Amino acid sequence: MIGTATLLSESRMRMDRVKIPIGPQHPLLKEPLAFQVTAEGERIVESTLRLGYVHRGIERLCQERTYVQNLHLLERVCGICSHVHTTTYCQAAEALLGLQVPLRGLYLRTLLCELERVHSHLLWFGVLAENIGFTTIFMHAWRDREIALDIMEELSGGRVTHAVNVIGGVRIDIGEAQFQTIISRLYDLESQVHGFLELVEQERTFRARTRDVGHLSAEQVRQYCAVGPVARASGVDVDVRRDAPYAAYNRVPVRVITNDRGDVWARAMVRAQETIESLRLCHQLLIGLPDGPTAVRAPRRVPAGEVVSRAEAPRGEVIYYIRSDGSDQPARVKIRTPTLPSLMTLPDQLRGVHTADISSVLSGVDLCIACADR
Amino acid sequence: MNFDLVLESLRDALLLPEIESRPVPIDERFVQIPPERLREAVAVLVNNLELRHLSTITGQDTGQGIELLYHFWHGNGLTLCTTVPYEKPTVDTLMALIPAAAFYEAEVTEMLGVTFVGNADPGPLFLPDDWDGDPPLRKQNAHG
Amino acid sequence: MTANLVRAVVRWARGKSPWLLHFNSGGCNGCDIEILDLLTPRYDVERLGIIKEASPRHADILMCTGPVTRQSKDRLRRIYEQIPCPKWVLAVGSCSCSGGVFQGGSNVLGGVDQVLPVDLYVPGCPCRPEAMIDGLVRLLERIE
Repeated sequence: MIGTATLLSESRMRMDRVKIPIGPQHPLLKEPLAFQVTAEGERIVESTLRLGYVHRGIERLCQERTYVQNLHLLERVCGICSHVHTTTYCQAAEALLGLQVPLRGLYLRTLLCELERVHSHLLWFGVLAENIGFTTIFMHAWRDREIALDIMEELSGGRVTHAVNVIGGVRIDIGEAQFQTIISRLYDLESQVHGFLELVEQERTFRARTRDVGHLSAEQVRQYCAVGPVARASGVDVDVRRDAPYAAYNRVPVRVITNDRGDVWARAMVRAQETIESLRLCHQLLIGLPDGPTAVRAPRRVPAGEVVSRAEAPRGEVIYYIRSDGSDQPARVKIRTPTLPSLMTLPDQLRGVHTADISSVLSGVDLCIACADR
Repeated sequence: MNFDLVLESLRDALLLPEIESRPVPIDERFVQIPPERLREAVAVLVNNLELRHLSTITGQDTGQGIELLYHFWHGNGLTLCTTVPYEKPTVDTLMALIPAAAFYEAEVTEMLGVTFVGNADPGPLFLPDDWDGDPPLRKQNAHG
Repeated sequence: MTANLVRAVVRWARGKSPWLLHFNSGGCNGCDIEILDLLTPRYDVERLGIIKEASPRHADILMCTGPVTRQSKDRLRRIYEQIPCPKWVLAVGSCSCSGGVFQGGSNVLGGVDQVLPVDLYVPGCPCRPEAMIDGLVRLLERIE
């Protein structure tokens, strides 16, 4: 007798639960994060995660540096949404100092916020496409994203981190020649993004991989206090730019985009449409750019007090709490980024999903672990 | 947010004749609640006022105790503030009312050593498995 | 004689087509997205024979980004051990060179050289794709 292989009928095969570790190093994950997914047959029944691989103790570091030094640090909480971090932080410090940022400064600050949203959404779209096997779209999206990076580099000197915000305003300005070339490039980018939107809406394989996968109801969104495109794609109408306008958003109102399906496809629709809306906002900000200075001087010492500041990062609501003790170093800086509540929704999103769809669901959330861990 | 309604609801439900509150920039009201009444206060917000969006929980060592700030949002910002003493840094968990509290409480537990009674999985969340020091945001560790 | 020929071909191929593995041990993502950018049409390192691999077993060069955090130290070492010899380590970005802006962070050990032998340091915050390509070319010259 060669071997003792026994043939079992499918019904007699025991469906054991299998634990599948994903990460911290894994092709799906751009950042270290450890997942453990438990599958029964092909379906996920539960999942747990372990954060902390990117925890750098930034909140504690903030207490050991001055308000100005923290600008450099906080821009590096996350490389993708670097500008919105310093925006939220500067708003907080400016409120404690009682500073009024000049309108031109607010417009330029907002312009960078929207350009950052564009680059972040295109980055996400390419990564999602790559993770579901659509490498061509990854290449197209990231090639077009270079247009946004070029504009940001021209304005600030940096592609990824910009150091545009200072306490009191922004340190950049824009001339007439720049204005014209930026407007024309935004127009080029917009036509490309319309192509991506059409793909999301109509391309059969993209729809097959993303529809009815990773579902979250509006109630689940509310329970986990999820924010940003994840919330809006489940029909929850929240956006800090409209609900608590900051920077120049009270002058260039935002059209908030929602979708009721609550699946990965809905998240793609929301982000694609948001990108087009952001390009429109960039255009509005440029043509309506008021004259005047771009910043006011800020004293080094910040009066004692507390402040809560919010902004809409590409992934949703980011909140900063700062307490000042009257010195030139903050007594406490607390940061909560939008990825943290999104992570809390993941076990629900993954439950019942096929193991083959893990890539869709994980990519659909737009995780930024550097933001979450700080 | 109808802030007067919030204060009135809290006063009535908690039977507290006076509730201290103060405005805080940028668009926030801070409301003082005794730690042992905190869960009840949040129940009022969630069940009576549909005020459910908890942005995060800030913990800080003020030198007089560990202050906990529960940052809510409902058209405007509302922060419930409470302070737990060093000798007994405990407060009830909010997880049954707001599942999102899970991670926020776990972070305060590991960073400041506060116990949230009823939170079955308090971490570690961000600190490494082999963390052997004191909670990093406690004052004596602030410049360690 | 045949063995020598095979060795020469392998050495030539390794120098002409190094396969990269990228690991982020705790960085902000800035360098990581610029590394991914290397693969995209503007920089397109695949025309230079460089591809990014998913498995440590297939890689020649380990590109590290980010400071080493306590939690990721062991994973970094394990990944390095899984890469078959000969292998090289490229520290990309200021954080993996020295800890960068996060030096002194409670969970931060420092640059990659706290854990692994580094062959080439490519500074920058974040490191530009042009600088990464320059670093890779210098490393390849050293390999050949």
